[in-house]
Amino acid sequence: MSGGGRDRNPKTDQQILVIIPAYNEERSVGRVVEEVKKHLPRVDILVVNDGSSDLTSVKALASGAIVLDLPFNLGIGGAMQAGYKYAYEKGYEVAVQVDADGQHESKEIRKLLDGLDEGEVDMVIGSRFLGDSEFKSSLMRRVGISLFSTVISTIAKQKITDPTSGFRAADRKAIQLFALNYPQDYPEPEAVVLLHQCRLKMGEVSVGMNRRYSGESSITKVRSVYYMVKVLLAIIVDCFKKPPVLKEEEERC
Amino acid sequence: MLIKVQIVVGLLSIFLLWTTFELIRKNRLREEYAILWLFSGIVVLALSVWPEFLLSQFFARITGIFYLSAVVVIAFFFLFLIVLHFSVVISKLTDQNKNLAQRHAILEMEFKEFKKRHLFT
Repeated sequence: MSGGGRDRNPKTDQQILVIIPAYNEERSVGRVVEEVKKHLPRVDILVVNDGSSDLTSVKALASGAIVLDLPFNLGIGGAMQAGYKYAYEKGYEVAVQVDADGQHESKEIRKLLDGLDEGEVDMVIGSRFLGDSEFKSSLMRRVGISLFSTVISTIAKQKITDPTSGFRAADRKAIQLFALNYPQDYPEPEAVVLLHQCRLKMGEVSVGMNRRYSGESSITKVRSVYYMVKVLLAIIVDCFKKPPVLKEEEERC
Repeated sequence: MLIKVQIVVGLLSIFLLWTTFELIRKNRLREEYAILWLFSGIVVLALSVWPEFLLSQFFARITGIFYLSAVVVIAFFFLFLIVLHFSVVISKLTDQNKNLAQRHAILEMEFKEFKKRHLFT
């Protein structure tokens, strides 16, 4: 376990932190950590155990990840932010978000990292709908996602095809922003808006995604309409919020 | 008729004041919130003891409301402010709670690492 890269050399794998938030994912978290290790043997892997009542923490430790145990359940936003706070404090240059349910393919992480280097952007979103990647999902979800995509693309003034994707890589600036301020309930679409408000740049790369190893989407069919309305409201409210001010690192946001 | 309303409102406000006082005494209510409740109670009590203000031509002319409805409206307004205040306080507490939990998790992890490195080797 290295302490992360504190020097400011060009990005190496040691300066990358893979953040895996996990809530009751004992069946899949170990496998996800091992997959990431297989494809990126030199990165640090942080599992944020969001107050699980099962063996998530033990399984993650056994598979060789660093484990952050939250004292109680904070929800996905709070858990992810804990990961970003860790990445910020330990001086990592890049943070990659990966789901603990095995939906995100570890072999695609490299694409995100390359996108971050080449595109000169602060955050790269792994999109299921960009280019030739094909992803089958229910009609309801596709309608919802295309609606979000339209709204968020309009706000961000750039095409974002998959704003709900939680498969992302963030650079130092975005890490700093997210450590300071990260949306709580349905963070992925709101984080895009936040990033835009702070004039950070983002891009998308095409990635493939798996079926989940275990568990259901946090969004069930019955709740999906409620979810859509709530997220849209949150996004509209976000547009009126005063964006946070980033300290030091000369960036007024 | 007015005297009955005065008694009901007066008793209610005394009950409110007494409850607030008891909660403070038992340490179940922080003073900063207690002030709001005490203030509301005192205002309503004052209006029941001296209804003249609300009955005055002046008040009725500028507001167009009579005694009881005036008391209800005022009490409702105070409740509205208090509830709104609580929402703000709860939001702040939730945020602080979240930050504390995250801080706690990071410190605990660092402490475990420290113990492993320095105490058992």
